[in-house]
Amino acid sequence: MKLLATTTRYYLLLAAAMFVIGSVGLYVGVDRTLRHEVKEQLLARQLELTAKARANQLPPVALLQLVLPISRRPQPLGFRDTLLLDEQEGELVPHQQLTFVLQTAGEGPVWVTLRKSLVEAKDLLFVVLSVMLGVLALLLTGGVLLNRWLSGRLWAPFRHTLAALRRYDLHQHQPLQLPTPAITEFAELNHALEHLSQRLVADYESLREFTANAAHETQTPLAIMQAQLEQLLQLPVLAEDPAAAPLVADLYGATLRLSRLHQALSLLSKIENRQFDATKPVRLDQLLAEKVAQFEPLFEARELRYGLDIARAPIVVHMHPGLADSLLQNLLQNAVKHNVSGGNISISLTPQALKISNTGPAVSGDPARFFERFRKHSAASESPGLGLSIVQHICGYYGFGVTYSLAEAGTCHTLHVRLAPVVASPVKKPQQVLQPTD
Amino acid sequence: MKILLVEDETALRTVLLGSLKQAGYVVEEAADFAQAQEKIMLYQYDCVLLDLTLPDGTGLDLLRSLKAAGSAAGVLIITARDALDDKIAGLDLGADDYLIKPFHLSELNARLRAIIRRRQFNGHQQIVFRDLLVLPELAEVHVHGEPLTLTRKEYDLLLYLLANPGRVLTKEAIAEHLCGDAVDSADSFDFIYTHLKNLRRKMQEKGADNYISTMYGVGYKLNNG
Repeated sequence: MKLLATTTRYYLLLAAAMFVIGSVGLYVGVDRTLRHEVKEQLLARQLELTAKARANQLPPVALLQLVLPISRRPQPLGFRDTLLLDEQEGELVPHQQLTFVLQTAGEGPVWVTLRKSLVEAKDLLFVVLSVMLGVLALLLTGGVLLNRWLSGRLWAPFRHTLAALRRYDLHQHQPLQLPTPAITEFAELNHALEHLSQRLVADYESLREFTANAAHETQTPLAIMQAQLEQLLQLPVLAEDPAAAPLVADLYGATLRLSRLHQALSLLSKIENRQFDATKPVRLDQLLAEKVAQFEPLFEARELRYGLDIARAPIVVHMHPGLADSLLQNLLQNAVKHNVSGGNISISLTPQALKISNTGPAVSGDPARFFERFRKHSAASESPGLGLSIVQHICGYYGFGVTYSLAEAGTCHTLHVRLAPVVASPVKKPQQVLQPTD
Repeated sequence: MKILLVEDETALRTVLLGSLKQAGYVVEEAADFAQAQEKIMLYQYDCVLLDLTLPDGTGLDLLRSLKAAGSAAGVLIITARDALDDKIAGLDLGADDYLIKPFHLSELNARLRAIIRRRQFNGHQQIVFRDLLVLPELAEVHVHGEPLTLTRKEYDLLLYLLANPGRVLTKEAIAEHLCGDAVDSADSFDFIYTHLKNLRRKMQEKGADNYISTMYGVGYKLNNG
């Protein structure tokens, strides 16, 4: 719910409550004042009549009875509310009446009742309440309109900040730049956000540097290990001991794997850090043909049949040549690695898309997760499971969409790379959709 | 054969030095740009092994001054895997070949041999090994004077073995040599075995001695004699 709607709602509730209380209070107050006034008038007339009776200035009771309700029998004394029929309007009208005993000269005590209509008081009350309601309605609509207008004006800096936050991308290594609005709260918010983003950028930068340095520093010891182990294998003493040589060979193999893992991870971090700015037109068709030729011995070794279907026209993609190479490398490697002996690989390249399908055992799990790092086909696999993650990162870097799909039989896996960028500029996250195929 | 080794990492330089000397080269070393620059100006080398990232300069500048001096030395550059631009720049500047760190020492030997062969003999060279004669420019192999028909991969494998006589070649190094980056260490090395088996069979059919020995779990070795 919008902040404005919420505040307006509370405002309305409060105003309604206040109005009810105010109206009741006003009604009671006005009513009491009016009754009091009527009583005073009645008492004034009583005094006047009593005074006249003492001074013996009153007309005889019989005459007086024509204008005043006078009874010779005792009546209940004091103030009472009563309804009397107004003969002109033909309706019952509320009256206040005062009954008292009047001592008349010679005629003994009579019970006089003085009455005064309360209709004027009711009319007054009605006017007061109508005015109150009108004012309330004006106040409410005015409040709502004011809030709407204010939200457009006062909240503009907030919305600006929000839009800036949405656009913000840490990978650009730039702290957030926000204006300082006139309103203190928003100025403080922007200030705090800028501060936060500066810290984020600094942290991110130091993390990035750390990764890069760590990668660089590991590279040399790895190269030394690899070279030393290779030299160790040359020692004649190893040839004499059939148990020792495989141990060193295993060590050597593990070093190679470590160094591949290291390369893959530093490639991933370099892509994430956008360190592949230089793009060149890459002849993807030629590159693919080269790569497939390179893979041929592997296909042969695993008895894989492959079909290569490359569109005739030159297919040029603007990307970093190293990333183009890595993309094809990892896609082909994936197709070989997750294949079955005697299986198939079909590769097709058109100017729009690159599609690589391979046979393979059915896999379980969420296809979107296949692109995750260290996602292994099987726990026993020696491969670190970074290939598809690299594919996804490269595609994401250039805005290519990469999708994985599984044919109904569950044994034909297809990776589909849409070569046209989804948007003009590189986007961060590639789309991961599971598409049903034939 | 005289080689200049330019590498700033002491430990790596030491290993490379040992390996190159073992392979029969005369090796001089330079630990930084200044040393390397001086040696290039003073002496003649058959080949310069050049690491592109040096603490006090870039190997590309050394390459430039080498070419500016009209040196006949071959240049093999060594780069980090991701410094692809450097690699391309190096080749554009006239480097003969490149190796990506980390590399197999046997691969280094093979590349060096190829460079020196191309430079010194303009390719007109015969490789003679026991009863084997290889004419690299014709891609022909003869055993006892009789031609031997090999597939492309078998021929590559033989040349690789010939470039590293007496050295144990690990199956990983062979696989990478034959397939480039395509090989993941996780993949089977069956295909090397197949190619090697075929190579041995073809050579033995022509009466060659069996001088390729197998080191179980490790790799293969071409025995000198």
